[in-house]
Amino acid sequence: MTKYIIRRLLYMIPVLLGVSLIIFILFKLVSGDPTAVLLGKNATAKQMADLREQLGLNKSLWLQYLDVVKSAFTFDFGYSWSTKQEISKMILQGAYPSLCLSVPAFVISTVLSLLISLVVAYYRGKGIDLFIRVFCIAGMSISALAYILFFQWFFAFKLGWFEISGFEAEFPFVISYIALPAIIWIVLSIGPDVRFFRTVILDEIYQDYVRTARAKGLPEVTILLRHVLRNALIPIITYVVIQIPSLILGALLLENFFSIPGLGGMTLNALNSSDFPVMKAMAILSSVGYIIFGLLSDILYTLADPRIKFN
Amino acid sequence: MKAAVLLIGLLCLIISCSKDRNFDERELHLISPEKIAGFDPIQASDMYSGNEIGKVYEGLFEFHPLKRPYELMPNLADALPSVSADGLTYTIKLKQGVLFHDSPAFKEGKGRELKADDVIYSIKRLADPKLQAKGWWLLDDKIIGLNEWREKNVAAPATTYDEEIEGLKKIDALTVAFKLKKPYPQFLYALAMPYAFIVPKEAVEHFGKEFLNHPVGTGPFILPVFQQSNRIVYTKNPTFREKLYPSEGEEGDDKRGLLADAGKKIPLVDKIIVDIIVESQPKWLSFQKARADLLEIPKDNFDSAVLGGKELAPELKSKGIRLFANAQLDVTFFAFNHDDPLFKNKKLRQAMSMAWDRGEANKLFYNSAAVEAQSVIPPGLGGYRKEFRNPFIKYDLDMAKKLLAEAGYPNGKGLPAITIQTRNETVSRQIIEHFAKNLEKIGITIKVGMNTWPELVNKVTKRQHQMYTMAWGADYPDAENFLGLLYCPNASPGSNGSNYCNQDFDTLFKTATLLQDGPERSAFYEKLNETVAVDSPWIFGFHRTKFYLSQAWLKNFKFMEFNHSQFQYLNVDLEVKKELSKKF
Repeated sequence: MTKYIIRRLLYMIPVLLGVSLIIFILFKLVSGDPTAVLLGKNATAKQMADLREQLGLNKSLWLQYLDVVKSAFTFDFGYSWSTKQEISKMILQGAYPSLCLSVPAFVISTVLSLLISLVVAYYRGKGIDLFIRVFCIAGMSISALAYILFFQWFFAFKLGWFEISGFEAEFPFVISYIALPAIIWIVLSIGPDVRFFRTVILDEIYQDYVRTARAKGLPEVTILLRHVLRNALIPIITYVVIQIPSLILGALLLENFFSIPGLGGMTLNALNSSDFPVMKAMAILSSVGYIIFGLLSDILYTLADPRIKFN
Repeated sequence: MKAAVLLIGLLCLIISCSKDRNFDERELHLISPEKIAGFDPIQASDMYSGNEIGKVYEGLFEFHPLKRPYELMPNLADALPSVSADGLTYTIKLKQGVLFHDSPAFKEGKGRELKADDVIYSIKRLADPKLQAKGWWLLDDKIIGLNEWREKNVAAPATTYDEEIEGLKKIDALTVAFKLKKPYPQFLYALAMPYAFIVPKEAVEHFGKEFLNHPVGTGPFILPVFQQSNRIVYTKNPTFREKLYPSEGEEGDDKRGLLADAGKKIPLVDKIIVDIIVESQPKWLSFQKARADLLEIPKDNFDSAVLGGKELAPELKSKGIRLFANAQLDVTFFAFNHDDPLFKNKKLRQAMSMAWDRGEANKLFYNSAAVEAQSVIPPGLGGYRKEFRNPFIKYDLDMAKKLLAEAGYPNGKGLPAITIQTRNETVSRQIIEHFAKNLEKIGITIKVGMNTWPELVNKVTKRQHQMYTMAWGADYPDAENFLGLLYCPNASPGSNGSNYCNQDFDTLFKTATLLQDGPERSAFYEKLNETVAVDSPWIFGFHRTKFYLSQAWLKNFKFMEFNHSQFQYLNVDLEVKKELSKKF
């Protein structure tokens, strides 16, 4: 297993080189010359030329690419071009609000979806199954924006149960700011999650070993929890774990509407202001996140299914 | 049952986690629609950063909060400067006893007195090539020796601030003299802009790259540490000098209650809480819940706030909320790229201008509250003549068709489709679609090019556009700031994104910009404004109106285009707030 982990970690090298190259090419293609944006509406040609020199944009493409690679391997992202803030500090400051929202919302929505899926699978083909399926599809058909606008207006403004927007890091005040966007996150996630989990569980339910268990007289709940769920875990783990890196990136719409100063808004600001170092940092961090959590899901497979061995 | 109890318990917990309102302190609650990058004055290129910086930093001059037209008054300066006969030397005496905020940057943490050296240092910082200040354009080629100093430091490993500059002289500890290369009538406006606000050298050196997060000014409020957050909380500066609320304003200000605090020491509030809220709905709901004292009405909520475009909705009126409608010093436009041979054809430009139904556009996009732009200068600035009518902004399809035929494109035949570049925002797109629908009537096909902001700026600065649409807001109250958008030497990558070049205009503009404010200069501006109107280098759009709502307890609010220093004059009536808050 150690060998496998080391090998997978070594794969990070070509992946990061590739990611760096893609980010670099995209930035060069799309953003063009960022100095006009960075210097504002009254920039002079001379000032733009000086800034290009200062930012290293006059260096050869090869050297500029090497700078990106260096950042990818040292995690030294430097300073933001537009805010002049230290990027690692910006990420740390933004990660806390993003995680405050995304972690509880993600955990609750995953557990809740799994429970609902088990219930639906248990009552497959019956009224409750149909009702939940219809409910999920209906929920998925409504845009996230509609949920946000309605929930914010009704629960925060009309009923006054939650804060309308904002963020306070201090506990317990953070709860009143985070609760409503977290609820919306859960509502938005339940539809697709339940549909996926239900399909995976139903795939297992019609397997031979389930029939054998039933023939042996095991109660349906035991079959579901002990046998079906365990075997269905592989795709579920993949589905769940691979979402974890995106939690750090935050939820752009929710952060915007609820004024949560997370990483989603930071990334969007960077895109709008040609702030390449911030874009680069976020892209590199998310690809590292995907690699690490991909590896984690592989390790979890062996726990869920002891037949899986690393070669 | 258990689940229901648990749910109710959770809900109670969440509700109990909300903070109670504070009625003991005079807190001013404001909303900013954009994130603030940091607190370095030389980088404050947008209005929102300027507003925040203006709470902690100050300039030598500021705009009078009540007088209109806008009038400069001394702030850190003791009086308006004495100007030499040739208009080239400005001698400015500073107020005595002005203290910087207490900060670990100073000895024993105590803020020291502001000196002439600080002014010189702050101006040099604005010119420092290593810092690439966004406000450099203000002083570029204006002060004797400053450009040379800047050039010298471009390649130097570190900027040498100790070197003396001929145009920046310390006369004594509290007096500084600026020597200009040529007359620059807008110079005092430049000194009143946040870019030129005064910073102490010790703080810049002490905090280094973190200086932008540790504002140390002389301003009425303090913010020891700025964190990238969606809330900024300022408290009253305990060492702020004796600065009083003005006792005179515009006619009628007294009746409007704007002089009630005359002679009182400012700032009038103890705390300012600025919430950064980007989206319209939470802004609107927060104001309605009395979480904000002042709000620029979001476009989406305009109809529910203002009935028939004029009257405040009764529901808001009953809560004592007041409506303010204020003309902005701005102009919206569709700019032709004059590098494109197609747009050298004046009749084509005029035909396109006359085919646009501005009345309908005003109704659709500006709640019929905007003023149709006859030319480039907005109302309220010298050079704007109310009676002037640009014949080519009149909606007249027959005339437009005639001009198009004379331009060589009868019914649009032979004219290729024209692409207008814009920012990817719904309203911008809708405005172009409306324009396109109008122009289709005379046979012209318009396409929309959607861009992110960086893409749009790049296309314009690199002249890779046929047409683009934008709005320009005044940096200072002088028409030069608008006319300069059509001055040939400012062509891309400068602010003249249409690359319009007209020798007569340029000669006249050059002469006008050397004149001090007065009737002669206004006459020049009028001529420039009216000449350019007929030439139609742009398709002129509108001068927009801003609508604000203020809570009943907010006192002394008067719309200011250049409002970075306005917040120290605002006040909160706690009794009214306590009483009316029950209604929210």
